[in-house]
Amino acid sequence: MTDHDTPEPEAGGDTTHFGFRTVRAADKKGMVREVFDSVAERYDLMNDLMSAGVHRVWKARFIEWLAPRPGMRLLDVAGGTGDIAFRFLDAAGKRGADPETHVTVCDINEEMLKVGRNRAVDKGILGGIEWVRGDAEALPFEDNSFDAYTIAFGLRNVTDIDQALREARRVLKPGGRFMCLEFSHVVVPGLDAVYDVYSFQVLPRLGQVVARNRDAYQYLVESIRRFPKQQDLIDRMADAGLHQGKVRNLSGGIAAIHSAWRI
Amino acid sequence: MNDAAPSAPTARLVDPKLLEILVCPLTKGPLTYDAARQELVSAKAGLAYPIRDGIPILLEDEARRLDDEEI
Repeated sequence: MTDHDTPEPEAGGDTTHFGFRTVRAADKKGMVREVFDSVAERYDLMNDLMSAGVHRVWKARFIEWLAPRPGMRLLDVAGGTGDIAFRFLDAAGKRGADPETHVTVCDINEEMLKVGRNRAVDKGILGGIEWVRGDAEALPFEDNSFDAYTIAFGLRNVTDIDQALREARRVLKPGGRFMCLEFSHVVVPGLDAVYDVYSFQVLPRLGQVVARNRDAYQYLVESIRRFPKQQDLIDRMADAGLHQGKVRNLSGGIAAIHSAWRI
Repeated sequence: MNDAAPSAPTARLVDPKLLEILVCPLTKGPLTYDAARQELVSAKAGLAYPIRDGIPILLEDEARRLDDEEI
């Protein structure tokens, strides 16, 4: 049913992975963009269905660990629909009003940003948030600009993860916090088999019915399997200059939060 | 494209604080804000990045290459 068992060319040199397909590195960005353009409007609905609403719990845990404080300046990368940004402003606001509290949402995808900005208007959020179209691998921000950098369900879609991590370090102030929320690798025996069936059989069908794009969700499943394992990501964060890495598994490792610091 | 919507540039303004920290994604050099054209110009890269509907687009493949007179 899927082609994930078939042999494939080794990714290396100028090629990279797009799900389980090996594609030219230069093409991946455009292919990922098409996937998200096509599902943008139904993206949040899809997330709810896919995770049975659990993604909300994961995001809440993510924000809880970030512990936003008044006056914090956050860069949220790949956060087009505003999910993390709104939670951040809400959490920081509860601990005290400060006009310096600010989130910059940077996403490569125009459609996702439009959804986010419309949601901000609907929620009556006027200040403390800015929207920028940019690339996680070539961030358009000055060095040492932010207290925290978050990327939720975004790092997996980046062509060169190590480059994105180096850029994260660059824009963080010394002492700044890096946090990533991403689908990860199941660590509970037995759950992995169930999760395999769910992800390869159920998810692409859900994608077909709800977002009318089976390929997009097939890509999603495959890209999750490609993503570095928990400890591997910690090591790569350290290589990029993001230290004291820690991980918290969510739902048995279906997702994981990684945290590190620019020292 | 802007000709059709004369009110668009004033409808949404980019936060001056944001402009302070924005740099050219290629050179990491400074950007000059051209309010009339709604562009952020990177002299070093020879590129003008568009601002559409108040959202700066700092992507190389969306940028306009500056002609000789502009550099």
